[in-house]
Amino acid sequence: MQLDTAKMLAKIKNTQWALADIDWDAPGAELVTGDPELYAKLKVFMADLMWIEHVGARAFAAMAKKAPDDTLAEIYRYFHAEEQRHANVEMALMKRWGMLEGDADNPILPEPNINLRLVIDWLDTYSDEMPLEVLGSVIPSLEIALDGALCKFLLDTVKDPVCHAAFEKINEDEARHLGIGFHVLEVMGHGKLHQLLVKAAGNLLNPKLIIGIAAYLPLLNRMRDNLVKLGLKEERLYEAMNKYKRIGGRTEQGRRNPWFQIISHQSAMVVDRKSLYHVPVDALVRLTDYYPRRLLKATPTWVKGLTWKTAA
Amino acid sequence: MTQYLDKAPDAGRRSRKAADPSAVKVVEVLIVGAGFAGLGSAIQLRKAGITDIAIVERGTEVGGTWRDNQYPGAACDIPSNLYSFSFAQNPGWTRGYSGSREILAYIKGLARDHDLLPLIRFQHNVEALHFDGGEGVWTVTLTGREPIKARSVVMAQGPLSNAGFPNMRGIETFQGKKIHSARWDHSYDFAGKRVAVIGTGASAVQIIPELVKVADKVKVFQRTPGWVLPRFDFQSPEWTKALFAKLPVSQTAVREAMYWIHESMALGMIWNTPMTKALEILGNRFREAQVKDAWLRRQLTPDFKIGCKRVLMTNDYYPALQKPNCELISWPIANISEKGIRSVEGLEHQVDCIVFATGFEVSKNGTPFPVHGLGGRDLNAEWSGGAQAYKSVQVSGYPNLYFTFGPNSGPGHNSALVYMESQIDYIVRSIGRLAAGKLKYIDVRADAQKTYNVDIQKRLAKTNWNSGCKSWYLSADGFNSTMFPGFATQFAKQMATFRERDYRLV
Ligand SMILES: Cc1cc2nc3c(=O)[nH]c(=O)nc-3n(C[C@H](O)[C@H](O)[C@H](O)COP(=O)(O)OP(=O)(O)OC[C@H]3O[C@@H](n4cnc5c(N)ncnc54)[C@H](O)[C@@H]3O)c2cc1C
Ligand SMILES: [Fe+2]
Ligand SMILES: [Fe+2]
Repeated sequence: MQLDTAKMLAKIKNTQWALADIDWDAPGAELVTGDPELYAKLKVFMADLMWIEHVGARAFAAMAKKAPDDTLAEIYRYFHAEEQRHANVEMALMKRWGMLEGDADNPILPEPNINLRLVIDWLDTYSDEMPLEVLGSVIPSLEIALDGALCKFLLDTVKDPVCHAAFEKINEDEARHLGIGFHVLEVMGHGKLHQLLVKAAGNLLNPKLIIGIAAYLPLLNRMRDNLVKLGLKEERLYEAMNKYKRIGGRTEQGRRNPWFQIISHQSAMVVDRKSLYHVPVDALVRLTDYYPRRLLKATPTWVKGLTWKTAA
Repeated sequence: MTQYLDKAPDAGRRSRKAADPSAVKVVEVLIVGAGFAGLGSAIQLRKAGITDIAIVERGTEVGGTWRDNQYPGAACDIPSNLYSFSFAQNPGWTRGYSGSREILAYIKGLARDHDLLPLIRFQHNVEALHFDGGEGVWTVTLTGREPIKARSVVMAQGPLSNAGFPNMRGIETFQGKKIHSARWDHSYDFAGKRVAVIGTGASAVQIIPELVKVADKVKVFQRTPGWVLPRFDFQSPEWTKALFAKLPVSQTAVREAMYWIHESMALGMIWNTPMTKALEILGNRFREAQVKDAWLRRQLTPDFKIGCKRVLMTNDYYPALQKPNCELISWPIANISEKGIRSVEGLEHQVDCIVFATGFEVSKNGTPFPVHGLGGRDLNAEWSGGAQAYKSVQVSGYPNLYFTFGPNSGPGHNSALVYMESQIDYIVRSIGRLAAGKLKYIDVRADAQKTYNVDIQKRLAKTNWNSGCKSWYLSADGFNSTMFPGFATQFAKQMATFRERDYRLV
């Protein structure tokens, strides 16, 4: 079934919300701040989550430029902004819980972990050159796995009602991101199979994409490790990853998209702890810890746009 | 500021009007609008010996576009020597690209020097036109006034004269000041104010550098970035002014040179040629030179071919955006709230004033007011799928009716007045033919109009405008009824011949 993108865009426009719609001073913050163990875990977790929103954001920004029609381009423009909104909300939660360093009016942004940093770096440098097939196939997997599993974990762990109110809104946005994500995944499965394959193979040989993959794979494993450290059952992450295969593969077209096949296979390996896949990838995770920071690009200026404030 | 007459004038005035004998007689030519086109038509008609003319203008002053667009920084983006009538050159232009006030003064000068003011009826707003085929007479319905009857009507009401606040969510809730670029409020003091500008088109890029100088904070909301090219503006040195005054041919020569420079731009702007690429490289280089930050540059990079929308000619726009008190916001706008603008990234941008540089209502699929032709046919309905005309000036079934800036007469690369002059000359010829033959009416043949449009649309298909970008040049379903697909020279050539066999003379 094809999704009506024009209707979806209208729906997106009709259901916008702002940070000011949430009462940030409502009671309940002590449910986090009063629990030192949870507090410490959450501080790291929230920072990662905020930056993962940004991986999605930057990818949507790139996709807006390559969308095949104006409607989809406009939808991606909205999604880009919505991911920024999610990051802003997460920053506002951190502010509420007193997790931001620096003084109250000019808090310092938390640093992303090195693997996130590398992925953001890559996106900032190359995503505008990547074909829609690649970004359009990998983004739903990232959104489902990281975004989805992380949000679920957060809501299971944190009792602060403001956090729940905020994530109810975020999850409504995410449902639409996935709706469009899987729609595009399917649309890209149209056409002659061998042509799709040849094109995918060609892209896979693109050194820029190879660098991207080298940045992306360790991120997944790093996040898995972080989550386990936080007490999230890794099965949760795997359930989420399997969902990609289940939904993306529900139609013939979806299954014909070679990128869907590649990503599902890779997910299957991630999920299988005994797979040999983890040997090199885990090694990469450890290696990246030694990645010289001076090789990182300067933080892109869009980072400065992030804020916990409701008004500017 | 001009006040538009929306309501009926007071009763006393109306009864005096009713006694006016001119209300019952048939005027030879009635012109709607006293902008460049209306005044230019009157001047040329008179030169051809047609003197029974009435101009109806809804405002209280002449000037049209240049009376309405008095925002800070308003100026033409075609050199003044070319953006003026060839039959009324002005040696005194103070700048290469003159400001709005100077252009308005020039238009007022036209009206004065050609003694047009007695012809103009101000505060006359046209509401509808009806043609009576039996009499060969148009009835011009006016708001709150007696109708006027005319043999021929020239619709010179302007392509960009209807401005209004856009229909944005929550706009009515905003408690601060709202200003439309084309209805500037000069009494509002921007000093110390937080201002939002919505839109980044031709007007916005002129307003923003000026606002940044005075306002406390300027937030620019952008939907689609346009192509920006450098503008070579200069103050006219005294010696050229003196030379032009003494030796008008020297100004004509400069005008000619500018005309050909702009004509050559057509090569890049109208069609996708190596010149298009060259202009895009120039645009990209200019952006790289003026904008330091990579992300800002990305935000400002257009994703359509140059020429697909109006190219912005400005040197101060990019620098203004990078001033510490200015910020470019490319997030979509979710809605307008009591205190400002909420954009999709979740923030409320609180401001004291919102400037709407959101453009004009362009009637692509219809007429600005009802027009009924032979047998009561309705032009609005006929144009609902996209406007069509014969050589842009006439429409079959609507005899003795003329358009300036009619369908497919828009320039993308050259002065609008160059196109306008050839339309006016054509109109004068056609009206002259009517008078000479003592005809009731002259009507374009439907098949001639059809043949003309098949050709136009075929040529448009090959242009940049139809290359898949949205702009006010295209209707919602992508039909191009605004632009002329060719050089100004080609347009002039097409307008220079009057083929009588394409008409029905009654
Ligand atoms: C900000 C701006 C900058 C521009 N810069 C350039 C440029 O640099 N180069 C260029 O070539 N073109 C430019 N243009 C295009 C410009 O519109 C034309 O060049 C030209 O001024 C149009 O003249 P006009 O007489 O056709 O219309 P207008 O100047 O709009 O005059 C129409 C007149 O008709 C009146 N009217 C409208 N409806 C009615 C009615 N129902 N009843 C009675 N009267 C009515 C209006 O009040 C107005 O006075 C610019 C336009 C704008 C808005
Ligand atoms: Fe998100
Ligand atoms: Fe998302």
